[in-house]
Amino acid sequence: MAGNNAKHKFQPKEIQNMKSKFFRALFALFITTFAVAAFSAHAAKVRVITTLTDLADFTREIGGDHVDVFSLATGIEDTHGVPMKPSFVPRMNRADLLINVGLGCEHAFLPALLEASKNPKIQYGEPGYVDCSVGIVPAEVPKSTDHSAGDVHPYGNPHYMLDPVRAKTALETIYNALIAKAPQYQADFTRNRNAYLTKLNAKIAEWKKQAEPLKGLAFVSYHEHWVYFADRFGMRYAGTIELKPGVDPTAHHIENTINMMKADKIPFVVREPQFPEKVPALIARQAGAALIKLPIMPGGVPHTETYIEMMDYIINAFVSAQQRSH
Amino acid sequence: MIAHAQETIDSDKFKSQLQQLQQKFEQQQQEMRESFEKMMRAQQAEIDSLKKQVAATTNIASTHQAVADEEVKDLKDQVAAVSEAQKKQRPNEFNPSIGLVGETVFSYRSRGNDQTGSDRPGGFDVFQRSVELNIAASVDPFAKGYAVINASADSETGEATLGVEEAAIQTTSLPYNLELKAGRFFGEFGKLSYIHDHELPFVNRPLALDQYIGGESRTDGAQLNWLLPTSHYISLTTGFGAGFGGDSPLNNPGSYRRLSGFNYFGRLSTYFDLTPNVQLETGVSGLINPTTQDRGGAILQPDGLATFTENERQVAGADLKISWVPLQNNQYKRFDWGSEFLYSHSKFLEAPSGDPTAPDAFQHFVGSLGAYSYMTYKWHRQWSAGFLFDWVQNPMNHSDETFAYSPYITWATSHWNQLRLQYTHTDHDPMSGLRADDAIYLQWAWIIGAHAHGWQQR
Repeated sequence: MAGNNAKHKFQPKEIQNMKSKFFRALFALFITTFAVAAFSAHAAKVRVITTLTDLADFTREIGGDHVDVFSLATGIEDTHGVPMKPSFVPRMNRADLLINVGLGCEHAFLPALLEASKNPKIQYGEPGYVDCSVGIVPAEVPKSTDHSAGDVHPYGNPHYMLDPVRAKTALETIYNALIAKAPQYQADFTRNRNAYLTKLNAKIAEWKKQAEPLKGLAFVSYHEHWVYFADRFGMRYAGTIELKPGVDPTAHHIENTINMMKADKIPFVVREPQFPEKVPALIARQAGAALIKLPIMPGGVPHTETYIEMMDYIINAFVSAQQRSH
Repeated sequence: MIAHAQETIDSDKFKSQLQQLQQKFEQQQQEMRESFEKMMRAQQAEIDSLKKQVAATTNIASTHQAVADEEVKDLKDQVAAVSEAQKKQRPNEFNPSIGLVGETVFSYRSRGNDQTGSDRPGGFDVFQRSVELNIAASVDPFAKGYAVINASADSETGEATLGVEEAAIQTTSLPYNLELKAGRFFGEFGKLSYIHDHELPFVNRPLALDQYIGGESRTDGAQLNWLLPTSHYISLTTGFGAGFGGDSPLNNPGSYRRLSGFNYFGRLSTYFDLTPNVQLETGVSGLINPTTQDRGGAILQPDGLATFTENERQVAGADLKISWVPLQNNQYKRFDWGSEFLYSHSKFLEAPSGDPTAPDAFQHFVGSLGAYSYMTYKWHRQWSAGFLFDWVQNPMNHSDETFAYSPYITWATSHWNQLRLQYTHTDHDPMSGLRADDAIYLQWAWIIGAHAHGWQQR
């Protein structure tokens, strides 16, 4: 019995061999895990949150396969009214960069989301907080930040992305932020940026040519989105249907707007899809102007998924309306 | 002779020719000299003229240069003056953001407060419920601080009664998704107990929160929030404090408080996007208030003799909120349905004779339920309306039930100016000694200065 038992017993040497094999396997596993982790870290995509879809489009154009981009807005939201969904929080918690328009554009939802994200990397003032308004000279900086002027933007009008030339500043800011975050991809980022810039510059020349007949023409819009756009394409921005930013028009203001449009022969009323159609349609009808529905960021209306498609849409909509009015 | 004469003639002729040539040469030379001199004079004149021009230009340039220098100096002086002006001593440089909320409630109740149990008089009333000063700023790179100081009108005297509703420090950069808050603050329990009065979707705080929590979930203590590191949103908050509830009496620890003399509370919440436009948020909460001695003192019962002394209380809650928030035009359209269920479990020392030390005094437990549910529909940027249903069992006697029904309509001229009209019918259990009543409230709330759109008010 003892002999039989002895046959099945491991000898000390065997045990030692097993131990040795076990530790070797463990070591190999550890090294493999470490190597995979290190490789993954190296190959990991830069996790980017953008507030709006135009910034997401630019980031994807520059970042290519090296970035994982999520935009808080889908495109159809009001730029100041993106819902604060808790489902954004885990994404923001793990983000490397938060790219935003700045100039107070996201004041209604971003500060609270940032606090809830508990991500120190993307807080205001940190390198991960990318404010694309840096380098933009803001228009319409209010002389007073009193709320008698409505939900006024204290740093100036934040809708500069609707001017493709000023938007290039944002493109450059995003490019620099991506390089700072992932310098190993600098060559790819530079190549992508240059290629996109070439395409965008060509489109800008095309849009300017298309918009020649629009020069000097005036329009009103629901919210104060279009000051930079009008400036770029030589149009005259004659005011807003809103009484003040964030405050719907009174009957008196509607009447004044109609009278002003008739007197100045203003041919266009722009309605952003975030706002109800009833009042802009009434004003257009009464003033004998064309009502144009325009997106304020990519995805705002169908077939405007990219920034270039959106600008194409806007210019074409204006030009078509102008041609129809003749 | 002839030959000689011929030679003489030739010689004369030659001389004459030579003389003519010489004269011609001299004449040409003279002309050339004169021409050259003329040219030289002209050139000299031109050089002189150019010199004069150069001199004149140099003078203009130097004049311009002098003017430019002077203007540059002026500009430098102005820039220096502006720069110097920036160096003003500003004692308020680091002042926090400041906002003020005013809230007045005009009301009419069909019965006096002896029959409604309210701390406000029946009939016509005007209640300056909030004069709320909000201040907030970063403390340092690691924390922010905020305070909410409220001066509401005293129900007896009408004088402003200053109270510190919140004054807390909150970390901003703890690792592992942690956030620590300490001081006086509204502890996280349920969905509406940590909302300030003027931010409620209706005029008054639900009865269940009033009776089980003591109104706002105010506590002096600390709470730790942890955002779980998962791709799905899960938030866990735990905390402790001396006392819980703005209108609740503090725990009375006697002369020595053990750790078990604190209140402990917590909430676990999560969220789902049912569709891009439909949100669901739900959570469970707990509040433990163990082994307090004589919490709030002896409470006289309706028979006018017996007293209840609350020794221990536990509250559990479950909340659910479903919201339709259309992505495109949520400033104009929105629907919210929020509900909260609470269970209160209290241990009382009951003294039938009114003397807690008498031998007939005994302990008993009361388990009570309460709930509220409301729906608010917004159909215009300025207009919304809703309905609140309240039900609560008295935490001292669960067979004493109160029901309330409150339709309300809200008109907001802007984010900072809001009027709300509400009707409330309240049914009390007849055995409570209270009677059914009807009330109409008109609430006017306004905000000046800084006012953040907070995470909790989303």
